[in-house]
Amino acid sequence: MSFRARMMTPLLVVFVAAIGYPLISSFVLSLTNYRITRRDETKFVAFAQYKDVLQDHAYWSALAVTGTFIVFAVALELSIGLMIALALQNQRRFRDFSRSFLLSPMFVTPIAVGLMFRFLLNQQLGAIPAILEKVGITYDFFGPGRAIYSMVIIDVWQWTPFMVLLLLAGLESLSKQPFEAAKVDGASPFYTFRRVTVPMLAPILTVAVLIRSLDASKVFEYVYAITRGGPGTETQTIQYFTYQTGIQFFRLGKASAMSYLLLIMVISLVILLFKRIEKARLAS
Amino acid sequence: MTISKITTRKHFEPWRLAGNILLTGAFIAVSAPFLWVFLGSFKTGTQLNNPTLILFSPNLANWTRVLETGILQAAFRSVIVGLITVSIAIIVGSMGAYSISRYKTGGSTARFGILTAQVLPPAILVFPFLDLAYRIRVNGTLVSVVAAHISLVLPVVTWFLIGFFDAAPKEVEEQALVDGLDRFTAFRKVVLPQVAPGIGASAIFGFVISWNDLFYALILAPGNSATLPVRIAGFNTFRGVELGAMSAAILVSVIPVLIASFFIQRRLVQGISGGAVKF
Repeated sequence: MSFRARMMTPLLVVFVAAIGYPLISSFVLSLTNYRITRRDETKFVAFAQYKDVLQDHAYWSALAVTGTFIVFAVALELSIGLMIALALQNQRRFRDFSRSFLLSPMFVTPIAVGLMFRFLLNQQLGAIPAILEKVGITYDFFGPGRAIYSMVIIDVWQWTPFMVLLLLAGLESLSKQPFEAAKVDGASPFYTFRRVTVPMLAPILTVAVLIRSLDASKVFEYVYAITRGGPGTETQTIQYFTYQTGIQFFRLGKASAMSYLLLIMVISLVILLFKRIEKARLAS
Repeated sequence: MTISKITTRKHFEPWRLAGNILLTGAFIAVSAPFLWVFLGSFKTGTQLNNPTLILFSPNLANWTRVLETGILQAAFRSVIVGLITVSIAIIVGSMGAYSISRYKTGGSTARFGILTAQVLPPAILVFPFLDLAYRIRVNGTLVSVVAAHISLVLPVVTWFLIGFFDAAPKEVEEQALVDGLDRFTAFRKVVLPQVAPGIGASAIFGFVISWNDLFYALILAPGNSATLPVRIAGFNTFRGVELGAMSAAILVSVIPVLIASFFIQRRLVQGISGGAVKF
């Protein structure tokens, strides 16, 4: 065996064992009516589970909830994150301290963040509603029509730092020349930002949005910690819905079909997006 | 030159002020929840009903109660799982990433496969892991959690490392081969030290992913070998009654990572700008 093959083999073996095997196995599961409580009754049902899932109103509603969550969370994280990254880059004093402190939320386990905010925003026990009450506002953060946006706030609190990290790394890797040229030409900071920073940062912005969107599509902990999908099914995200189907109702076959459908959608979106980027790159 | 410097400086001041105001706001937004939970962990049941209470005599009952629930053992298990996962991912990943980067092994298929593995919904892999764990009777143990975490961490780590190897200069390594080192020794003694910051950043990233995971650990090992996130999630069932103890439990998971993040932040920014965001 050649050197390059010998170096590659361990990765290939672990990759196939830890990802390839479960991926195929889960596809096989999705073609059966497998339930962990009734393993003896397992039958091959072809694509019946997929048909079942596609006709399930709750699945589409979970997709819509997740979509809303992603759009609001990532949009806020991108705009706030970009501003903070720029401010951090221009900061003169306390650089190390403010960077590590402001990045810290992304290192905290999401379940702890979820529980923290569950009580911080709780109507009876939370500090924020108590403070709002003092200025005359009564706001139930987890009430109907609001709970999903409170989830967005929590996600923004935890993951804007990740956006900042990626954008800060991007900003610091940009070449300095165009900025100096803009300075010499007397361009205003806002003009420089719009015409120099943003275009140069565009590839990293795209990657950051992509990474965050894919991550946000997996939102589970906040729902598990706070609302368990409620009120009604307003915060029932796709990941939580799949967890319920597979773990609480033991329907592994159906849950696998659900995640395969999700995978197909996600990959199509990613490919579509990459084609767009390529087109834009060729056009410019 | 001097003149332009002075004018641009004048120009930038209001923006710098705005930036500092923004950073102060962000600082308050980040610290407030931590501080509130910190205060909560020293409050008695009655004091907890007064959410804006700041001055009170601290009470250690919550902390002693939480330590009795085996939270430290759970934290220890999380560390073990994280270390094993990251060690395997780094060893296997760095060798493979080097092969992919230097010798174009697997071509674009290998790169695309690693990228795709990162977008897999976790729910797609977890049920086969659960099923297999039942069959070979390792369900409810850390073995299945480590296996699941490898599927989560390995693609990310390998992807990062490919970027770092792509960015590393080839000359030193070629010189080492000329000097008579065999290829594997050259890889170990010459190439790896060159990308050490990158390996550090990837290892930290991988560890954080494993340390934070609730989804896999909750499904695969909910019982006696619960990791820290699973144990913390367990406080959920006690509702408001155990709020004080839960605050202490949250802090047990927060404090070590806060300290760690303080030390690794600079390396992380350098590591990521060194290659990981160049897709």
